[in-house]
Amino acid sequence: MRKFTIPTWFSISWLGLMFFFTIFGWLLPFKSWTTVFEDDLGVAPFSAGHLFGTDTNGYDLLASVVSGTRMSIFIAITAVGLGGLIGSVLGITAAFLRGKVDTVMVTLFNVGLSVPNLVLALALVSVLATNLDINQAVPTWRRVMVLIIALTIVIIPILGRIARGATLSWSNREFVTAARSMGMRDRNIIIRHIVPNVLPALIAVGFLAIGVVIIAEAALSILGVGIPDGASWGGMIARGRNDLEYAPHVLYVPLVFLALTVISTNHLGDVIRSGLDRRESKV
Amino acid sequence: MAKISFWLQRLAQLLIVLLLVTFGVSMLLRLIPVDLATVLLPVGSESERAVLRAEIGLDKGPIAYYLQWLGDFVQGDFGKIYFSGGTEEVSTHLAQAMPRSMLLMIYTQVFALAVAIPLGVISAYRAGRRADRIISNTLFTFSSVPSFAIALILIIIVGTKLAWLPTLGYVTYSEGFAEHFKHMIMPVLALSVGLIATYTRLLRADMIAALREDYVTMAASKGLSDRRILWRHVFRPSSITLFTSAALSMGGLIGGAIVIETIFATYGVGFEIFAAISGRQYVALQSTVAVIALFYVLFNLVVDIASGFVDPRTRDRRVNA
Repeated sequence: MRKFTIPTWFSISWLGLMFFFTIFGWLLPFKSWTTVFEDDLGVAPFSAGHLFGTDTNGYDLLASVVSGTRMSIFIAITAVGLGGLIGSVLGITAAFLRGKVDTVMVTLFNVGLSVPNLVLALALVSVLATNLDINQAVPTWRRVMVLIIALTIVIIPILGRIARGATLSWSNREFVTAARSMGMRDRNIIIRHIVPNVLPALIAVGFLAIGVVIIAEAALSILGVGIPDGASWGGMIARGRNDLEYAPHVLYVPLVFLALTVISTNHLGDVIRSGLDRRESKV
Repeated sequence: MAKISFWLQRLAQLLIVLLLVTFGVSMLLRLIPVDLATVLLPVGSESERAVLRAEIGLDKGPIAYYLQWLGDFVQGDFGKIYFSGGTEEVSTHLAQAMPRSMLLMIYTQVFALAVAIPLGVISAYRAGRRADRIISNTLFTFSSVPSFAIALILIIIVGTKLAWLPTLGYVTYSEGFAEHFKHMIMPVLALSVGLIATYTRLLRADMIAALREDYVTMAASKGLSDRRILWRHVFRPSSITLFTSAALSMGGLIGGAIVIETIFATYGVGFEIFAAISGRQYVALQSTVAVIALFYVLFNLVVDIASGFVDPRTRDRRVNA
C-alpha cells in the first residue's frame, strides 16, 4: 500500500465528515435549520450561539449547511449510484455483444453527451416537474425525486461510455479468450472477468461524476428549478444571493462546503485513476 | 476514395445524432402531463388555443408534430415566444443572444489559452520541480471550484466591496468599448478558470511526452537553445491536442454559460434557455436546444477536419480504424 499524501488524507476525512453528516446529521445537537432567530439577523460567523453566523432572515447557517449537506450528498450519491449502475450495465453489455446493440448504444450515448449537462438536466426537470395544475407549486419531495431522475439520466451516458471503453479493451485480453474457449458462459465471463477489471475505472470516474452532480444540483437551484427554501447547498446559495451585498458570509458558507467537497471527490478520483495507470503500466 | 466515404460516414453520424437530439427533446415535451397550448396561452380563449394547436402541430401525433417542427426549423422558422400581449419570434431573440454568447465564448477561449499556454510550457519544462508542483496543484484546486462560485465571489469582492466593475448587464461594443469590456471581465474570468486548468494539464502532459522524443535530444545536441527547442520542436506538435480540446469545449461553453449568463444578466443563448424554461416557452426551448446541439456537432466536425489537415497522422489512423 502506498502512503497517502496530505491532500488525499484531507479529501478522505472531508468526504467522511460529509458522509457522517448525511447519515447521522439528524442525530447531532444542531439547531433546527427552519427556526428563525429574530434577535440574531445577519450575525457574522464565530459569534456566540451561531458558529457560522445567521443570514438576514435569521436562519442559523451551521444548521442550514448541515441539513443542506444531507440533501446535496443524498442527491449526488443516489444519482451517481443509479446512473452508474444503469450506465455500466448498458455499456458493458454493448461492448461485450458488439454489433448492432453496440452501434445503437454508442449513438444513444452520443446523443446524451451532445447536449450540455446542464441543458439536459434543465429540460428534464422542467418537463418532469410540471404539475397538472400549472399554477400549483411542486412539493419539495417531488422536486427531489425529479432532480434525482434528471441527474441520473445525465450520468448514464458519462459512465456508460467509460464502462463500454474499458470493457472493449478488457474483453480482448487472453484470459477472456481462454475463459470463452473453456466454454464459460457470457454472463459468467462478464461477472467474473470483466466487471472486476472495469470497476476501478468506473469508481474513478464515479468520483468525478459526484462532483458533476453536486455542481449541477447547485446550478439548477440557483436557476430556481432545483431545491427551494435553502434546503440544499444550491438552495442556500440561491437564497444567499439576496444577502450578497450586506452579509456575504451567507454565500461563503455553502460555497466553501460545496467547493471542498468537489475538490475532494475530484482529487480522490484522480488518485484512483493514477493508481490504475501505474498498475496497467506494469502489465 | 476511402477518405471521401469516411467523411460521408462521419457526416451521416452527426446528422443522426442531431435528429435524435431534436427528436428526443420533442418527445420529452409531448410527455409533459399538461396541455401545451394551455401552458403557452394561459389566459387565452379556447378558440385561440385551437388556432395555436393547429399552427404548431399540437393537434397531431407526436411524430407529425416533430416533423412539422423540423420542417419549420430547417427553413429558419424557429417558432414563437408567447406572452399575454402577443408573440415574439424566437429567431429575433437568438439573433440578439447569439453574438453575445459568441463574444463571451471567444474572449473566454482567448484568455484561457493565453494563460494556459505559458503555464503549460513552464510546468512541462520544470516537470516535477517546485514551479510545476505549484502550478499543477493550484490549477487542480481551482478547476474543482464551479464557475458560479467564482462568479459569486468575484461579484462580492470586485463588484460590491471594491466596486471596480459592474455586476449586471451587457453593453455592445458599439455603445462603448471600455464599458463593453468592463461588463465582460467577470463573466470571462468565471468561465475561463476551469478551462485554464484543463488546457494547462493537457499541454503539460503532451509536452512532457514530446520532450522525451529523440528529435529533442538531437536538437539539444546540435546546441539549440532551450527556448527554441521548447517552442519550435515541442510546443508545436503538442499544441494540436490543445487546440482540438479548445474547439471541442466551445459547444459545451454555449450551454455551460447558462448560470453565468443568468447571474450576470448577459442575456446570451444560455439565458434564453433559462428564460424559455422558467417561462414555459417550450417551442422556444426546443429550437434553442436544437441550435446549441447544431453548434456542438458542427464544432466537432470542424475539429475533425482541421486536425486531419494539421496532422495527417490522425487522418490516416481514423480512416484505417
